[in-house]
This record gives sequence, structure tokens and C-alpha cells, in this order.
Amino acid sequence: MMLMPPFTLHHPTTVEAACELAAELMAAGESFDWVAGGTDLLPNYKWHINTKPHVISLARIEGTSTISANELGCMIRLADMTEANGVHPVIVQAASKVASSLIRTNATLGGNLCLDTRCFWYNQGEDWRRSIDWCHKADCGTGADCRVIPNQNTLCVATYQGDIAPTLMVLGASVHLIGPNGARTLPIDAFYQLDGMKKNVLEEGEFLLKVTLPDDAAKRTGSYQKLRVRDTWDFPEAGVAASWIEGDPASLVIATTALESIPRCHPDEVAAIFADGWNGAASVKALSSAMQKSVKPVNNTALPPRYRKSMVRVLTKRAIQGLLE
Amino acid sequence: MIVMSGGYRQQPGGAGKTTRKDGKRVAGKQAFPPPGSGGSNPTMAPRDLDFIPEMVGGKEAQPAGAHVHDRARTGTSVGKPTALVDSNAKVTGQAWYGDDVRLANEVIGKILRSPHHYAKIKSIDTSKVEALPGVLAVATGADSPHQFGVLPVTKDEHAMAVEKVRHVGDLVACVAAVDEATAMEALNLFEVEYEVLEPVFDPKKGLEDADEPIHWRGKYHLARTNVQKRVFQEFGDRSLVEKPLASSHGKWKMAGVHHGFTEPHAVVAHWDPNGRLQLYTPQQVPHYTHRALATVLDVPMHQINVIRTFVGGGFGGKSDPFPHEMCAAILARKSGRPVRITFDREEVYWINRGRHPSHIEVKMTADEDARISGFDIDALIDGGGFASFGHVTSYYNGVLATAPYELGSFHYTGARVWTNKPASGAMRGHGAVNTRCAVEVGLDEMSEQMKVDPIDLRLANLLPPHSRTISGFRITSNGMREALEKVREGSDWDSKFRQMPLGKGLGIGCGFFISGSGLPIHWDPNRFPHATVHIQVDMDGGVTVHTGAADIGQGSTTAVAQVVSEVLALPLEMIHVRSHESDTSPVDLGSYSSRVTFMNANAAIRAALEIREQILAAAWEILGYHPNNLVLNDRRIYYKHDPAIGVSYLKALHKAQEDKGALIASGAYRSPPMGGVHKGAAAGLAPAYSFSAYVAEVDVDVETGIIKCTKVWAAHDCGKALNPLAVKGQIIGSCHMGLGQVLSEKMVYGRTGHLQNPNLLEYKIPSVHEMPHVVPIIVESCDPEGPFGAKEAGEGPLLPILPAVVNAVYDAIGIRLRDLPLTPDVVFKGIEKAMKAADVDDPLDLESPRVTHGDLQPVLVKRAAEHKTRDQARQRSEDTSQYVNGVLFGFDPNIPLEDQVEGWRTATEPDPEQLAELGLAGKAWLKKEQRHMGGDE
Repeated sequence: MMLMPPFTLHHPTTVEAACELAAELMAAGESFDWVAGGTDLLPNYKWHINTKPHVISLARIEGTSTISANELGCMIRLADMTEANGVHPVIVQAASKVASSLIRTNATLGGNLCLDTRCFWYNQGEDWRRSIDWCHKADCGTGADCRVIPNQNTLCVATYQGDIAPTLMVLGASVHLIGPNGARTLPIDAFYQLDGMKKNVLEEGEFLLKVTLPDDAAKRTGSYQKLRVRDTWDFPEAGVAASWIEGDPASLVIATTALESIPRCHPDEVAAIFADGWNGAASVKALSSAMQKSVKPVNNTALPPRYRKSMVRVLTKRAIQGLLE
Repeated sequence: MIVMSGGYRQQPGGAGKTTRKDGKRVAGKQAFPPPGSGGSNPTMAPRDLDFIPEMVGGKEAQPAGAHVHDRARTGTSVGKPTALVDSNAKVTGQAWYGDDVRLANEVIGKILRSPHHYAKIKSIDTSKVEALPGVLAVATGADSPHQFGVLPVTKDEHAMAVEKVRHVGDLVACVAAVDEATAMEALNLFEVEYEVLEPVFDPKKGLEDADEPIHWRGKYHLARTNVQKRVFQEFGDRSLVEKPLASSHGKWKMAGVHHGFTEPHAVVAHWDPNGRLQLYTPQQVPHYTHRALATVLDVPMHQINVIRTFVGGGFGGKSDPFPHEMCAAILARKSGRPVRITFDREEVYWINRGRHPSHIEVKMTADEDARISGFDIDALIDGGGFASFGHVTSYYNGVLATAPYELGSFHYTGARVWTNKPASGAMRGHGAVNTRCAVEVGLDEMSEQMKVDPIDLRLANLLPPHSRTISGFRITSNGMREALEKVREGSDWDSKFRQMPLGKGLGIGCGFFISGSGLPIHWDPNRFPHATVHIQVDMDGGVTVHTGAADIGQGSTTAVAQVVSEVLALPLEMIHVRSHESDTSPVDLGSYSSRVTFMNANAAIRAALEIREQILAAAWEILGYHPNNLVLNDRRIYYKHDPAIGVSYLKALHKAQEDKGALIASGAYRSPPMGGVHKGAAAGLAPAYSFSAYVAEVDVDVETGIIKCTKVWAAHDCGKALNPLAVKGQIIGSCHMGLGQVLSEKMVYGRTGHLQNPNLLEYKIPSVHEMPHVVPIIVESCDPEGPFGAKEAGEGPLLPILPAVVNAVYDAIGIRLRDLPLTPDVVFKGIEKAMKAADVDDPLDLESPRVTHGDLQPVLVKRAAEHKTRDQARQRSEDTSQYVNGVLFGFDPNIPLEDQVEGWRTATEPDPEQLAELGLAGKAWLKKEQRHMGGDE
């Protein structure tokens, strides 16, 4: 049996109360985690990975479940992210491919965006991790080395395997963060920060409140392509999102996920193609190859990195196929 | 014999009123007295002639001829789709699995596991653990010095490590505490000092001498290697393989796979007030656990009661006696409280016993008549840290490839090595799956070289019913031909194979599996039966059946209930099978080697016939008609020429019970003497064999290498489907499990030798999205010795799906892949290679294979047609002539082949001149045993 270590669960009902609570715990020197749907955090807790004595639930906070074309609250469930609720089709496409239908009814947008990075040296039980003498990301005070790329003790290369972030990137979304030190808004590209441990710019006590999309996102069309072994349950082994304004190839934006420690946009690769002028199928091919070269997956997920890298070409091609129509 | 026709003057339970309006009886019509002996229907059901064989007057067709059990048929249960008798308990959540057992005052046991692959234990300090409040007992290897193992010849396990740990996760110590949190805390307080040793992960390395072999077998140890078992078998005339018309040479690498059953292992041990051990465990083979517990605990077997809980899936993974079962018993003895241990999924993978990771090499040849002149198989299998069933697996990897085809020669070298990984063991299709895949793909390749259809190649080379394989196995019923014909027709093979566009493919694969191991490994089959069933019928009329057959979800309880219900003509609800406790169950070898239906149902039929005889004798006394003239039907016994003259089952029963009380009968099954006399002749020997043929259709995404199996036509010869619903379930379930192995499942051992995916997210069992539409096709060859003709259906149906998919992938993209599972990256690598070879840029420009039949095709079709006639005559026993493997090559079946063919031989050790050319596993024969080296006494 997997027994979760004990923790105190807090249920603030307003954003202010949540921030206050966070500030109190910080002042008392107590560490804590935020929890939304719990489908990511709690399995890790069962594995005794980086557990904290306090967990603050966002579930009862008012106003976190807004859902419209321009605003998505952090607590909306992935299963509710449907076109009928006004969500952009590209986001819907990604949301409907996350894990399984069972998980999607509980998992939230905020949780998906703040998903912990994953690595098969890290997402394991305690006995297992003890047998490899721990790893950099969950070193249990031993200062252990990274097991994926040994002899470098500065960087965690765990992979970000969320599906929805790249679609928000290509639609130009912004994230709204809030914490004891106030609120801030930044483009989602700037939300993620390299290193599998740092993951994103959230500071202690801060949480992701909502995502907003610009008005012209609705004009965009696009696609999200996901590589996985099984058509359910599995995290992406690679994911490519693309969007463009119909009839305007130059408006193309591409983002990838599940290939590195953060999801990211690829403006340089796209720009390089358009520098030579748009040339239909040939450009699609060239861009696909350029995308393949631009990513650096490592060996810490189910499929080997060389294959995942090769598939970026195919996924890109499929994601932007619509441009040729 | 009684044939009920519409014109018969008295219809039991028939239509029409029996009394006139004035209350007088209608002439010739008589109301039957209600049987009054239980069941939900107060009136007797009419005889169900559709389920009574035509040989005894019914309407059930018998293309394969009469069966010895035909006279025991009553049309009650056999052959009817029947919901499993324990299904209500399962669907309502009332079935009690291992972890559902709750005893008063129970405490929780936890196991301390090795963090090292291979290490000597220098010391274990338990003082801090013992001092922790809430800890009730602590045990280490010192508490369990006795060795055990599932096979008597390879007992190499301890309850907890003594001296050495052999893989990460190996058991070191255990603790019982008042609750789980305390037990987990206690685990961190053990102080164990290890001396880490150099581990072995690669089975190839296991063939070499090591400083510290993982186990030491004394004078039988092979040099200083880690070889646990080596096998050499050669039959037939090896000169036939010279100058072949076609040949195939495939080197396979197959990853280890796990059973992936839903229920993790769980056990509760309790020493009752009388000092007897009561052990609750979800076991496939409670009897082996019973034996091992007695050894390990130093307690006679009669002081132990093994209680099999419901089993949440086993597939071979719950058939070993397990160290955690011993741990629970030891902790319970020490603490004086019931102790429960439940595994998490990681521990399930560490105890493993899944399919062996294997390196398999298959060379095969065909002669100018497209006869298979030779199979040359070499299998190196990775056993992990313990022997488990490995001794048998080592044989099965070879010998189960000796049918269904007639072979000119057969050569097999196998070796199983210990490595520092979780132990491999028995898994559905035990030992036969990997080689079968390699062999069937080889046949596909040869048929392409010979420009013939692969199905026709098979049809023209099948062993007939009632024949002997090259290794001496006795084939009785054989539905291979019918299975092949049915899938060919169902899949529209002739208009699809080699004719579909790139990315779409069709492939064929066959299977052959034992229906019960012929050798009960703990005793002499000539002295003790394989299975015993007791039946008791008391005054209420209900029938209690005691069997040790372990229902692991396959429906063995239902099968036993069905055959008893059939023989006694009682509704299924009147049959109560008791099989959970060793105290009340006759000794049984449990659920493995697909033996249960064949052996237990046979034993049950025998016991039921004895009861039936007693009841009929009582009816004779009451009715005055000899039992030969009495008919049993639905709780009533009547004179066959006048159903009005009869007696209810209950009345007859009470008559039979006069002066003696409850009727009791015991039936047993033992297999007939069979097989050769060479070393290892017993491996693979079975009283009957199942046959199967599948056609799989796949879609391959040539850009990503992702394979989708879309449809499977699955024909399986199960002899006689006692319960067609269960047989279909087994076929579909087997497809799912086999698809997992061929497409996505593997135990991934990483760079450091650790099992990287011990969880159900990363161990990729196919989901419902990956599941193809399976068309189950039941073939009934009616086995002469099977219960009502039945054979196994639990394991054999798994075999053909692997080669069918691999062959279909070739049909789709023209690439032969021999690295299982065919994960997208493996396929993609193959596609890249093919693109390079074909000098194309885009995988969509690859060509899929096409075939034009050559001159041999009509020859094969003709031969297959002749053989079909031959087989039909043999199946129906119209032709009872001797047939042995070799007749196809022109030899006389009545003269020992050794006497008529120079060079025909049976060998179980290589000749010195053969040593140089042995395959990978064959290299084990280059080493000598210690006793021949003058070492270790």
C-alpha cells in the first residue's frame, strides 16, 4: 500500500485569505504546496517525493472557475474545457488529450500549467529512489547528482510534460499570478523558467490565478499534435502546437512541449523560414526539419530521445499542414 | 436412447393442457409431479436436445466423432454460454481478495528491501526497530534458514536474504507494527551493513565465469558461471537441412514482460488458538505454498491451512510460493497477532516472475517440396535472481515448437542464466510464446522465398490428429487445420494479403500449447493422481463439490460446477463448489500449465458419475427399470420409453441415502503414460494440446512508426467449449495480453540495471483504445480424453497474436522486425533503415511487399487437400493407423525411425564436434559441471 505522509490541508475561500495564509506559513518557516485537482501532486506525495507539512487547496476559492473565450480560471477542470464553453479549439484539442477521461474530470488548467517536471529517475517510490542513491531533484539532503546526465550537479533536466501550455503560447495567452507580494501578469512564454526544479517563475507563496487570451486569439486557427504510446493515460512524449491567422502564413507561431524542462515557443526557426519567403510545402518541410534540430530531449521518458527528436519533424508537419489548405 | 418427437404421447413439460374443463385428465396427457428438489423453476425443463450429442440421440453435431463422455451428457450445462458462478460476488464488490481479509487485532507487516543489485549482508542491527513503540515483531533471514522454491529440483529462495541479496528489492528483513505508518517508520531504523558485489545484468555475461556466482549449486554448478539450466535436444535427420530451397535466419531480442494483474500480492497470516497457521493468500497454486510453508516454518503440513482468497488475476504471476507469505507467517508467530502484508505496485514488479527477457535465434529450412526440413532454435533466457519455474521454461522455449508442423529435424539449445534482476518465471503461454513468435515469422519469410501463400505452407505441413511429434509428444485431437481455414475465410485473406496499400497489412500466426502438464512435479504420476474432486450430496439435494482447483478468474469453479450439473442434470444453482481451503479441498496442483479444466473437470465427472450411479440405482429400486433405461433430466429421473413413469431427483436421492446418509464420492484424474525416455522427455508432455490460428490486421503510420492493430480473427481449438462465453473471454483477453507484449509492454532495465518502470503508467499495458476488434472463433476437435472433449483455452490463445502482428507489419511496410516490443521507436528505426536501402526521402514512398505465387503453390494446395481428407478420417477414428512425425518425409511409421534412417537420432547432449557451432545459449555446453572439474566434492 502507498501511504501518504501526513499533512495539514487548508481550505481558504478567497484569494486574499489564501495569500494571507501563505504569508503566515512563510513567516512561520513552514513549507507548503498548493493543490488544485491533485492529480499531479498527490501521486507524488504517495511516492514521498518532496512532500510538505502543509497543503493549501485552491478548490474553494471563489472566482477561480471562470471560463470564456478570453479568460480561463485556474480551477477549471480539463473536462470542462470544451468548445461549447467558448474555449479556443486548439486548447480544447490539447485538453481532450490529457491523460484519461477520469483524470480530466478532476485535473485543472492551473495544475496542468504548473505540472511538476517528470523523469523516470524521479517519479518513483522511496525505496526505488534510495536504491539509486537519490537524484538531484529529490536529493533528500544528500546533494545527489543528476542521474540522467551525471557529473553535472547544477541543472535538473526533468521534462515538462504538460499538453496545454504550448497551445496557450501559440495563442498569445498571459498568466496572472498572485501572492503575498501582490499580483502580476506576464506572457505565458515568460512564465516558464529553465531547470526542471525551478520550472517557472512562481515565487514562494505565489500561485497561478488565471489565464487570459487576447481578443485576436479567436481569429487564429491551428492544431496540437501529441506523441504518446497509448491513446489514453500517457503523458506526451513530444508535443507541437501551432497557430496562424487563416490566409496569413506569416502569422505562424509554433511551440513545443515534453521535449525539454520547459515548453517553449520557437520564433527563431519560424522567422528563418519566412526570411527566405513562404514556399508552401517546401517551407513546411524545411520548418519541420528546423524544428527537429532545435529541440534537445534527454533520456528520461518512455521513448528514447533520438526518436522523440525525429518525431518533432513529423508532428510539426502535421500541426501546420492546415497552412497548405 | 430416447428421441422426443412432437408425436410422442406424453411430452414432459410439453404444451397443451393436461386436464379438461370438467377436471378429468386428457387422454395421453399427464401432469408431471413438480420435481420439488430445489432450483428456481418448479417444473422440469424439457430435455435440451440441442445440447445432447447426436451419437446419443440429440441434435448436437459431432463432426469429430463420438466421445467417451457422450452418455453422461444431459443437455443441462455443457456447451451453453454461462456467466461465471462467482460473477455476482465480483460485480457487486463482495468478492474477498487478498487485501479484503480483515481479522480481529491484525497488525501490518512491511518488508525491508535491498537497495543494492548484489551484495553480501555483513550485519543487520534491529535494536532501534525493536525499540520503536508500536513495533510488535521483527524478523530477518536468521529466522528462516530453510530454502524453498516452486520446483523441488531448484529450491534457491529464502523468506528473507540469508548471506546475500540478489537484486534491488530482494527481501532483507520484515517488521510488524500496530499500523502502517509505524511499520514504515520502522523500516528506516534497520541498520544493515552490506558488502557490495559486482552485479550481472546481461544474460550473455551470465554465461561467463564470475568471481561470485549468484547462486552456488555445489558439484552440479556449471564451472563458475551463472547458468542455472542448460538444455540440448536434437531429433531427426540433420542431413535434411543441407541444400535447402528456402531458409530463414532470425535473431530476436524480446524484452521481459510482466503479468500486469490488477490485484497486488497480499497475504494475511494468523496462528489460531490451537497453534495452527491460517494463511490467506491470493494464490494460483495454494498447494505449493502449503508445502513451502511447512518447510520454512518447520511445521507439519497438517498444522497449516492455506486459504485461497479470490484472486485478482494471476496469469502465472501468483503461482510460486512467495517469500512475503513466509514473512507474514513468521511475523504472526513472533507477534502473536494476525499479520497482513499488502504490496504496492513497485513490490509487485520486484517479485516479478514475468516472462523471461530472451535472446532467441531461429534458423529454419524447407526442402524442394516445401517440407520443413529443420528447426534450429537457440534460446538464452534471463532468469533474474532466482530459479522459479525456470527449469521448465528452459525446456519449453524449445520443445513447444515441435508442433503443429511435421519436421525433418529439430535442434534446440537453451540456457537460463541468473542475473541480478527480479526473478522471471511462468507467465501465460509459459516458455512457448517467444519461440513461437520467432518460428511463425520464419515460416512467413520462407513462404515468401518460395513464392507460396503462408497459410497454404502451413496447411501442407501439419501433423495430423492422433500422431506423434518429432520429440515424442502424443497429439490426440487436432483442430489446427480447421482453425487456419476459418481465419483465412473470416479475414478475407485471399483478397487482402500482400495486396493492401502501404501501411496496411495482414499477418498469420499459429499456436500450440499444452493442456495440462503431464508431470505432477511433486509426485509420481503413475502412483498419485493429478487432481482429485470430492462430491457430497446431503438431504437438501444440493451438491457440494470440493476441489483444490484455484479459480483465478478463468472460471475453473464454473467449469467444475458445469460438468457436475451436466452429469447429474441439476441446475447450476444446486452445485456449490468449495475450493478455498486446503483443510477441505483435496490436494490439487492449482492453476497453471492450463491443466484445470482438463484435469479437474475430468476428476469431477468421475465423481459425479459415481453419485449418478447411486441415484440411478435408487431410482431402479423405486421404478423397477434398469438404469440403462432411465433418463436423467432436470431434477427428475424417468423411464425412457414412458416419461410418465418417473421419480423426482430428491425422492431417488433420499432412497439412495437410506441407512447411510449423505452420498459421497471421489473422482480422480491421472494422465496416461506417454512420451519418450530421453532426458527432459517429460517437459512439454501433456495429455492433450490446444491449437490456434490468428490473422491480425494492422495500420502502420509509416512516418511515426506507430502500429495500430485494428482487427483480429482468432480461432482456437479448445476441444469442446464447455462454456463458450468463457472461451471467448479467454481468446479476447489473450489477444490483449499478447498485443501488449508485441506492441508496448516491456520491463525497462536502464543504464544502471534498475527497473525503470515499476508502475502501471510507464509499464505500457494497452488500453481500450489500442484494443482491436477481436472475432473469437471456437474450433471444437473433441479431445478423446478431455472432459466432454474439452482442452485448454487459457494460455494457448495468447501465442499466435505476436507473430500475426509481426507478420502483418511486414505485409504493411515490408520490414521484418525482430526486436520486441515493436514500440514506435523500434519501428521507426526499421523504417529509416529501409528508406536508406531503398534510397527514398519520404517514408510514404516506400513500397509494400507483393507476391506472385510460384510453381510450388499448386503443389502445396494439392497436398493440403489430401491431408485434409487424411486428417478428417483420423480425427473420426476411421483411420487408426500409426502416424509419427517423419511420414511426410516418406518414412514408415511402424518401424522406429532410428532403424530406417541413417542419421536419425535423439540426443540430449551435443557431440564434441558440434560444440564449435552452437549458438549463443549453446555456449553453456562449452562449460563443465564442477563434479567433472574435480571441484566441490
